[in-house]
Amino acid sequence: MKRSASVRLAVAVLVFGSPRVTVLAQAPVAAKANSAAASKLVDGKPDLNGIWEALNTAAWDIQDHGGELGIPPGLGVVEGNEIPYQPWALAKKQENFANRKTADLTESNCYLPGVPRITYMPYPFQIAQSSKAIAFSYEFAHALRVIHMEGGHPDPNGFLDTWMGDSRGRWEGDTLVVDLRNFNDQTWFDKAGNFHSEDLHVVERYWLADAGHMNYEVTIDDPKVFTKEWKMSMPLYRRMESSARLLEYECVFYTQEEKYKNAPFKK
Amino acid sequence: MSRQPFYAIKLVAAVTAVLVAALAPAAGQAPAAKSQWTPARTPDGQPDIQGAYARAGIYGLAPQEMESNGPHGAENPLEDTAYSFLPSGQKPNGKRSKESSDEDPQPQGEGGRAVPLAGPAPPGPWRLGLVDPPDKVLPWKPEEDKKRREFLMHTNPAASLRYVEFDARCALPGLFLNGGPFQFIQPETEVVILSEYQHYTRTIHLDGRPHLGSSIRLFMGDSIGHWEENTLIVDTTNFNEFTSFTREIPYLSDALHTIERFTIADQNNIKYEVTIDDSKLFTKPWKTAGLFRKAKPEYEITEYACAEGSQTLLNMFGTPPGQ
Repeated sequence: MKRSASVRLAVAVLVFGSPRVTVLAQAPVAAKANSAAASKLVDGKPDLNGIWEALNTAAWDIQDHGGELGIPPGLGVVEGNEIPYQPWALAKKQENFANRKTADLTESNCYLPGVPRITYMPYPFQIAQSSKAIAFSYEFAHALRVIHMEGGHPDPNGFLDTWMGDSRGRWEGDTLVVDLRNFNDQTWFDKAGNFHSEDLHVVERYWLADAGHMNYEVTIDDPKVFTKEWKMSMPLYRRMESSARLLEYECVFYTQEEKYKNAPFKK
Repeated sequence: MSRQPFYAIKLVAAVTAVLVAALAPAAGQAPAAKSQWTPARTPDGQPDIQGAYARAGIYGLAPQEMESNGPHGAENPLEDTAYSFLPSGQKPNGKRSKESSDEDPQPQGEGGRAVPLAGPAPPGPWRLGLVDPPDKVLPWKPEEDKKRREFLMHTNPAASLRYVEFDARCALPGLFLNGGPFQFIQPETEVVILSEYQHYTRTIHLDGRPHLGSSIRLFMGDSIGHWEENTLIVDTTNFNEFTSFTREIPYLSDALHTIERFTIADQNNIKYEVTIDDSKLFTKPWKTAGLFRKAKPEYEITEYACAEGSQTLLNMFGTPPGQ
C-alpha cells in the first residue's frame, strides 16, 4: 500500500544527503489499490493512514429498516439486530423516533454526532498516524479525535463531558482498540432515535482486512439505558481515488445561513 | 464541552502591545542566529516537529490597533505558561447540558487551562506581530479601506447575519493565527495540524501535488508544502470569502493566498511567519509573525466544541421563525 521499509530507508538516505530543498517523493497513491497486503509503519504497527468511509445506511438507522422518502433501506449493523433497552429506555427511543425530524441535534443543528455515529455517517474520514500519534479527522463538521495512546480517562467528576468522548487507544496485536468515556447525553446513534446516557462506554476495534478494507467493531455499554452490552460491526472502505481527501462540510455555517437569512427577528 | 467563541482580551492585548513595542526589532531584520540544534527525522526524512504546541506572542496587527480588539491568542511570550481556551481542572458545577453552556468564554490566561511548556523561549530578538510593512499600517487599497469602514459601521450591533464576525459564528478561522494549542503529526509525505480551537485539521501535502481546482473553496484553504532545511514552507490557496481576522479585518477575499514559514528555532520552539497576500483588498502582501512553544508530552489536545454551546446568534437576532 505504501512504500516498503527498504524503499523508505532509501528515501531517507536520499533526503539526508540531498541539497537544500527537501522534496519528498511523490506518494504512490494508486499503488495502494494494487497491493494485496496491508503495510506497516517502521514501528511495526499496521499503517492505517488514509481516507476511509463506511458504506451502509446505519447513519439513518443502525437496525434493519425499509426505505422511505429520503431514507435508503438497509440491513442493520447491530449484532442480532436487537438493542437491549431497559423498558423505560425503549419507550424513550420510540418517542425519539416519533420526534426524529427535530429532536436529533446532529440533524437539526449540526452538533457533533459522537462516536461511533461519526464513523458511519456518509462522509469520509482521515486517519493520520505516525509512530508518535494517531488522530481521526472527519469531513462532517470538521470533527476531530486525537487517540491518546497513554494515560487514562479524566476523572468524570473533574472534567466536563464531551460530545465526541475521550479516546484512549492501545494496540492488541494488529488491532487498534480505542476506549471512550466522558460523553454527554446529547447525541444519538442514528437518525432513528437510538440513544444513550452520559454513562456511555464505547470500545472500538479497528483492524485491517487488506489494503483496501478495515474491519470495525464497536461494543456499547451503558448501564443506565441498556440491560447488557451490545455490538455493532461493519467494514470500512479505503477511498481509492488518487484524489481522495477530506474537504469541508460546514453544516453549522450552512444552517446559520438558512435560519438567520432574514435576521434580525422581532423579539 | 462547549465554548462560546473567543473574543480577544483587551487588557492582555494592551499589555502585550507594550511588550511588543519593546521587543520587536525593526521590520526586515531576519532572526540571525541559526539553530544550533539538529532535529530528529521522521522515516520519510522530515525534520520531526511532532507534539503539542502552545502559541505565544502576537500574531496580529499594529499595536495601536490592538486596543480596540486585540488579535486572538495575544499573550506574553516571556511568561513560561501558556493557556488553552479550555477551563482548568476545577470541578464544574454539575454536568453541562446544552441549556447550561452559555457561560462566558474562557480565554487564554483568564481561567484557561495552563499548558505546561517543555522549555524556555528561544533567545531574541524575535519578530512578533505585524512585521511588514515597517510602518505597521495595513496596505489597504483606498477604495477597499473605505468599503471596510462602511462595513464596520454595521457590525455593532450586527445589522444582519453578514455583519457578524465569522469567529462569533464558530466558523473555521481560515488564517492560522487564532489562539489555542495545536498538535503536529507527521505521517509519510504529510504534516497534519490538529487544532484544539475549533477542532479543525489541516493536512499539508508534501508529495508535490498541485493545488485544487479553483471551483473548490474552503474555509481553511488548500495547503501544499515543502521543507527547506529546518523550515516548513506552506502555500495555501482556495480560500472562500468567509475569512476574517480581528474586527479590523472583517473579511478577506477569495483571492487570499498565504505563505507560512514554520522555522525550527530549537527543540522546544518554532518561529512562525505568514505572508498574507490578498490582491483584491491590499496593494501589496503583508506579514505577521509569532512563536509556537512546545508543550510537555503530557499535554493533551481536548475537545473545544463551539456551535454546540453558542447562543450568540439567538442573543443577537432573536429566535428564527419556526424554531
